[in-house]
Parts: sequence; structure tokens; C-alpha cells
Amino acid sequence: MKAAATLEIPRKRIAAGVVVLLVLALFPWLGPPVYFVSFLFTVFLYVTLATSWNFIGGYAGYLSFGQVAFFGIGAYATALMQNGLGLGPAGTMFSTIPAGVLAAVVSAVIGYPCLRLRGPYFAVITLCFAFVIQLAFRNLDVVGGADGLWLKAMNLPIEVSRSVMYEAMLILVGVTVLVSIAVSRSKFGAGLRAIKEDEEVAQTMAVNAPMLKMRAFALSAFFTGTAGGIYAYYLTYIHPDIVFDVNISILIVLMALFGGGGTWLGPVLGATVLTVVNELLSTFVKAELARIIYGLLFIVVIIFMPNGLMEFFRKRSEDRRSASPESAA
Amino acid sequence: MNTVLVVQSLISGVIMGAVYALLGVGFSLSWGVMKVINISHAAFGLIGAFIAYGMLKLWGVDPIVSLAVTVPFLFVAACLVYRVLILPVTRAKEVIVSSMILTFGVAIILENLLLLLWGPDPRLLTTSYSTRVLILGPFYFQYPQLAGFLMSAAGVALIHLFLSKTYTGKAVRAAWQQPEAAQLCGVNLKRISTITFGIAVASAGAGGVGLAFLYSFEPHAHNLWLIYLFLVVIVGGVGNVLGTAAAGVIIGVITGLSLAFLPYQWVNLLTFGLLMVILVLRPEGLFRSEV
Repeated sequence: MKAAATLEIPRKRIAAGVVVLLVLALFPWLGPPVYFVSFLFTVFLYVTLATSWNFIGGYAGYLSFGQVAFFGIGAYATALMQNGLGLGPAGTMFSTIPAGVLAAVVSAVIGYPCLRLRGPYFAVITLCFAFVIQLAFRNLDVVGGADGLWLKAMNLPIEVSRSVMYEAMLILVGVTVLVSIAVSRSKFGAGLRAIKEDEEVAQTMAVNAPMLKMRAFALSAFFTGTAGGIYAYYLTYIHPDIVFDVNISILIVLMALFGGGGTWLGPVLGATVLTVVNELLSTFVKAELARIIYGLLFIVVIIFMPNGLMEFFRKRSEDRRSASPESAA
Repeated sequence: MNTVLVVQSLISGVIMGAVYALLGVGFSLSWGVMKVINISHAAFGLIGAFIAYGMLKLWGVDPIVSLAVTVPFLFVAACLVYRVLILPVTRAKEVIVSSMILTFGVAIILENLLLLLWGPDPRLLTTSYSTRVLILGPFYFQYPQLAGFLMSAAGVALIHLFLSKTYTGKAVRAAWQQPEAAQLCGVNLKRISTITFGIAVASAGAGGVGLAFLYSFEPHAHNLWLIYLFLVVIVGGVGNVLGTAAAGVIIGVITGLSLAFLPYQWVNLLTFGLLMVILVLRPEGLFRSEV
């Protein structure tokens, strides 16, 4: 491919991105049914989560199965701040940022020993971490224990409050994806990709692997925690079994890999497609059957496109190009 | 401290550990030999448990006798799964990740098939000897637990003998240590991998019956079982059969002792915390791999 094209974003693409964001931002004020606003909120939530996972899992190749711990920490931090400080709607929204910072701090503490482990061992230890945090929150009465925590809902009609949540999540998903694009084009991103290819070689080439991994992990924890905070406010009731549900962790990884980890677009695509499929299935098919179809989908995707949707389509378009006579000439 | 209580919880820990060991050995083999982390391993174990339950309920067949059906059935099913689903994936860029997602899909399907067939209620294996107790001095042994223990110990011993004494078993070990060299010596890697996967999953079925002797089970139970599998296999060292067996007993004893002195909900916290510490300090497992 052309080297220049990978460094500079074409004007057209920037314009297209801005238009998409504007249309999405205007959407809830055009009076659609609340269902669609809530549904898009869920899509944004999962795009945020999959994209933040991508920093550590996709770019650096460290498959974190513990993302839900950061999600839950963000949710609890927001709930506790609202309850403890008596924050209003705006205050609660902004409290999701320190909540994300807290998640990032936790990720640094846990990442320091854990990021030395590679491959499946890192996956297992982060999964364990998610379980430990969930069990701890369920058994600690200071944070509500098994009773969970309530948040004060916004004193607004449901359409308006859902739209406000929608906009907050849209901002977050926009920022997360932008940061993801920036990282994928930066020296930092190149360092992470070098770690994914071969960590020893990367280190001999003066890539400070431990530092870069920690930063990627903290970045992913920050956005995940902030999303958890907004989600807590959206739900108005949180419980360890809801916001620390390990299935969320697994779902995040699957979404990102389904789209194709390591590219910024992959997780966006994967999360959107899988959320839509999930919604359609759970609307039209019996729950168990829907899950079976969901499971079959993973199998089919892994067998026919083992490196994600992105890679699959890129290969197909390359094949077509090489098959056409112009490129052969 | 109450000595009888300590010894009693040690014994139940050893029993528990033996069952986890049987369940873990196959998981360890497929991870070590084929680099396939089979997330559906525990779900196959559940299938064994449900077959035993069904045969007991319908025809009054003893769960141990039901293994005569379960083991061949799961062996064939697993060979098919390996050939049709997993083999194409072994060519992917990252075998471990791809196989994890693939088998995660298999686990979801199995779990929901069980939900459709049996519903979400917890089940118990209630045999004619369920209520009988063997009393030795101050200690007591429940018959189902003894049955589970003996079956699991026999299962682990059989797998160990298979790997160390038979030609096929030696080929499995060779394929694990030096895949290329083994192929040069006439080991058919595809066939060996298929057989290994079949044995791994069949032993999971037996391990599932063993766990069903000890605890109630329902279609979601495999998720918690899976965590224990990771614990046992990582502590024991991936691919190390005897190490896995020892790790099963160690973890069983720790769980048994902590169950005696801690509230139930803190036991899992302790176990997972322990796994994290072991992973950080000794990711290669507590035992030197000697396969």
C-alpha cells in the first residue's frame, strides 16, 4: 500500500466521520421511540468497551479477560461518589471521569505483576482478577454487598433522560475511538504492535515493553471504567452480579476479535454487528435457541475468518483486485 | 484446634481433589499436546453428569455403569468435533486464541442444549447408596464420595498408564515434545491429536460424573468447574499428568480445610487469590514437567 496514505487521514474520511457523529448526536431529538435510543446506547457502550480492550488486547496482543473488573469499579465509584457527595446529574456525569481514573490506577497496580505473564497465562490471571473483585464486592458490606447500590435517577421524563445518557455515551465512544485511531498511528501504537509480534526483539530494538504495556492497560481501564460509570447512572441500580458479570469480559474479547483486533475499525465493527445480532436474536427467538445460534456464529466466524471480519474483507478485496486484469497488467 | 475436624476436612479435600484431577488431566493434555485450550471441557463433563443422571432416573442404572455409555460416546463425539471444527483452526495465526473462542462457542451450545433438555434446576445424583456412610473410628465416609474418589483415582491412573506404557500413548508424548521429529519417526500427528482430544473429552465425562457424586449440578455449573480446571492445570504444570493429579489433591485439601474454617463465600475468593499468586510467582506450575 501507499505509505503516505497510512500517515495522513484523507479529508473525505474526516468529513464522513464528522457527519456520522452529527447525525448520531441529532438522532434522539428527532423523536424516535425510546427503544431505539436505548438500543443505540447499548451499541455505543459495547463499541467503547471493545475499543478500549483493543489497546491492550488488540494492539499489544495481551488478551485481558478482566475488563469487567474495571467496568464494575467505574460503576461502583460513580455510585459511591453520587451517594456520598450528593451529586446532581451534571456532577454524576463528571464523576465518571475520576471513576475511570480510579480504574486506571487499579489496572496499574494489578498490571505491574500480571503483565509479565504472556499468552494464555495473562488471560487466566485477568479472568481470576475479575472473579476476585466480584467476590470481594459481593461480600463487602461497605459497598452494599449482595444488596447492591441505588443511584438517584435524573428528575426528567424518560425520553429526555435516556437521550442525555445517549449523548454522554456518544461523547465517550467518540473520544475512545479517536484515541484508538491516534494510537494506531502513533509511535506508541507501533511499539505495542512490535510487542505483539515479538516482545524480545522489540526490547532489543529499544522498545520499553513493560512501560508501554502498562500505559496501554491503563488507557483501556480508564475508558472501560468511565463507561461503567455512565452505565451505572443509566441503570440506577447496580449489583456485583450485574456490573461484574464475567460474561461481559468474555463478550468484549469476542466482539473485538470478531471484528479483528489490532485495527481501530475491527472492534467498532465487531461490537456493532454482535450487539445487533444479539438484539435481533433475543427479540425473535427463544432465549436458549438464541444462545445456541450465537455459539454457532462464533464457530463459523473462527473457522471461516480466523483473523476477524476486517482481515476477511481485506483479503477478499485483495483477491478481487489481483484477479482483475488491470492490476495484473 | 479440633484434630478430628481437620483430618475429616483433609479427607474430603483429597476426595474432591481426585475428582478435579480427573477432570483436569484431559484439559491439561489438550492444552499441552495440541495447544488447544478447550473451554468446553467442563461442559462435556456436564454432559457426562447429565447422561448418568438420565440413565439413573429412567432405568436405575448406576452412574459408574453409565460410564460404559458416556466414555465411548464422548470419545467419538470429541473426535468428530476435533476433525470438523478444531483441525481447520490449527492453521490460524494464533491457535490458542482461535481455539479458545471456538470452544467457547461449543460450550455455549452444549450449555443451552442442556438447558433446553433439562431446564435450569439443580440436580442431584441420588443412588441407592447415597445415604450410606462408612464409619472408620471417628471418621466417616459417604459412599457416593468414595465411589467418586475411586473412579477418579482409577481414571487418572489409567490415563497415566496409557501415556507411559502403550505405543499410542508414547506417540502422544513424543508429538508433544518434538512434533517434527515425531512425524519423522512415523507418528501420524493428525491421528494422534484426534485420539488425544477424544481421550481428553471422554475423561472429562468421567470427571463430570465424579463431580456429580459430590455436588448438585445444573447446566451453568461448567463455568465454575472451568475456573477450577485452570487452577488445577496451572498449579500442576500444563501437560503434566501426575502434576495435575497432585495439584488437584493440593487444591482439594486447601479448599476442604478452608471450608471448615471460613464462611463459604470467602473460600472461592481465597482459591482465586491463590491462583493469582501462583501464576505470578511460578507460571510454569509447581512441579517440574517430566512428560
